[in-house]
Amino acid sequence: MKNSERSSETYLITRWRQFCAGDKSAFGELTELNYAALYHYGTRFTPDRDLIKDCLQDLFLEIWEKRETLSYIAAIKPYLFQSLRNNLIRRIRRQSVFSDIRDDDVQDDISPESDWIIQETDQLTSHRLKRAIDALPKRQKEALYLKYYENLSYEEIATVMGLQRQAVANYLQYGIQKLREYWQHATIFLALCSEIVWH
Amino acid sequence: MNNYSHFQVKDWLDDQAFQRWVYHGEQDAFWKEIIQNHPGQQANVDQARELLLAIRGELDALPDSEVKLRVNEILNAVPDEKLCVLPWWRSNWLKMAAMLLLALGIVIALFKGRENLQSLQTFVAGLSEGDKPGLMEIHNQTHAIQLVNLPDGSSVILKKQARISYPAAFAADRREVTLRGEAFFEVVKNPEQPFFVYAGSMVTKVRGTSFSIKANDDEEDVELVVKTGVVEVSALKEGGKSEASAGKKLILKPNEQVTFNRKSLNMITKTVQKPVLLNLPAESQNFEFKRTPLAEVFAGLEKTYGIRIQFDPRAIAHCTLTAKLGDEPVHEKLDLICAVVNARYETRGSTVTIASEGCE
Repeated sequence: MKNSERSSETYLITRWRQFCAGDKSAFGELTELNYAALYHYGTRFTPDRDLIKDCLQDLFLEIWEKRETLSYIAAIKPYLFQSLRNNLIRRIRRQSVFSDIRDDDVQDDISPESDWIIQETDQLTSHRLKRAIDALPKRQKEALYLKYYENLSYEEIATVMGLQRQAVANYLQYGIQKLREYWQHATIFLALCSEIVWH
Repeated sequence: MNNYSHFQVKDWLDDQAFQRWVYHGEQDAFWKEIIQNHPGQQANVDQARELLLAIRGELDALPDSEVKLRVNEILNAVPDEKLCVLPWWRSNWLKMAAMLLLALGIVIALFKGRENLQSLQTFVAGLSEGDKPGLMEIHNQTHAIQLVNLPDGSSVILKKQARISYPAAFAADRREVTLRGEAFFEVVKNPEQPFFVYAGSMVTKVRGTSFSIKANDDEEDVELVVKTGVVEVSALKEGGKSEASAGKKLILKPNEQVTFNRKSLNMITKTVQKPVLLNLPAESQNFEFKRTPLAEVFAGLEKTYGIRIQFDPRAIAHCTLTAKLGDEPVHEKLDLICAVVNARYETRGSTVTIASEGCE
């Protein structure tokens, strides 16, 4: 598994160099390989799917335009993520998914029906975690996403988000800590609820 | 092997293989067993799993077909390298009219249905039972190229005198074929079921790519060049095919060529300008169509794959295709084309018959 990951990394670099030299099929392949990850990352900033697709098209056309100046780039994914982020943020006028707690989540009831608890224990913890993550500051949420889902290193996250490495480390540590506290509360709460139900 | 029994939640969170299991379901059996063998870790695993899923949040469903469509849009928006200088007699209104017509054609083509797909049947021409039961062998005794569709849908273009053998149905975990002579491969992507080509004493392992092999009996060297994807080359072990994974391996990327000596098992690599080894049209074709009349597209496919495509020229007179086809096997290309122009196809031997309702 690790080997194939590594070979795919060198593969991407080879294709990137070919793209920089004007190889359109390499360009197409790189676009295809990175499109989904970039799209999903885009959904972290805005619910407007058309805007994301627009930005992605602009992004790829832009890198095709300046391909000859891009051969120095060794870390392709962080570069693309960073570019998309800048483009999107520049164009976003609306509230982002990362920003505030949504209204419909705030009003959630803390004391649900007892039979509902028994059936939906797992969903409840997930649901509460969702609330916890929604309550995190948007940059913490974004750093967590890049670290765990996209597997970027601290340095790469710092590049993408335009932060110092230390700031990234702090965000991640604080974010995980918050989530875990939430988890613990949710679990204790659940245990209490089921006690009450059983007695 | 990690010592999972001492893992904290943080360790689980940071374990990349664990992340891949949670996010992509990779190596499911392995992880289920680990958890079963470490009952004390259940709570930690649950917590780590929930945290990871919460961090990811919900993702849109984004099918490959949609990605392909978007990528095609991007490629179509890329300006052409050479700007043609228009002759003086082509005035502006003519250009405008032509552009409008073309735009209309594309819109119509896009809005027509995307169903009516038909899978291509395996060609039976020249097919004969091999030595082992269920083993097919195809020997191209014609003077032209011959297309072979493998059971998984991959395409092989055999040059004359080349022969390929393969099982009537591939094993669940691997696809294995044996080649003698010269051929170009377009392999269906399937990481779960790697594709092996045995040629001379060279073993080629791929997941989904296109490449050419030259393995003539009367030549000491076996040659291979990669068009797309990654190819892994190694020497065949004396013990038999199944041990092909051991020994020295070479990873080749597009435009890289290897020369493999049958006797010394030496491998020499070099980078080439164009991945052309056999002078087949398929090696240099990039199948990029921009408002190309369908008849022209079919002519290209006929030439590339050595097949015959029958169609009613009047029915498709107004059909154009804007798409970038890559190293998909021939039937995937036909699926895509037919979906765009609202047509169906049927295959008999090496003849493909297209039925189109037209694009007007």
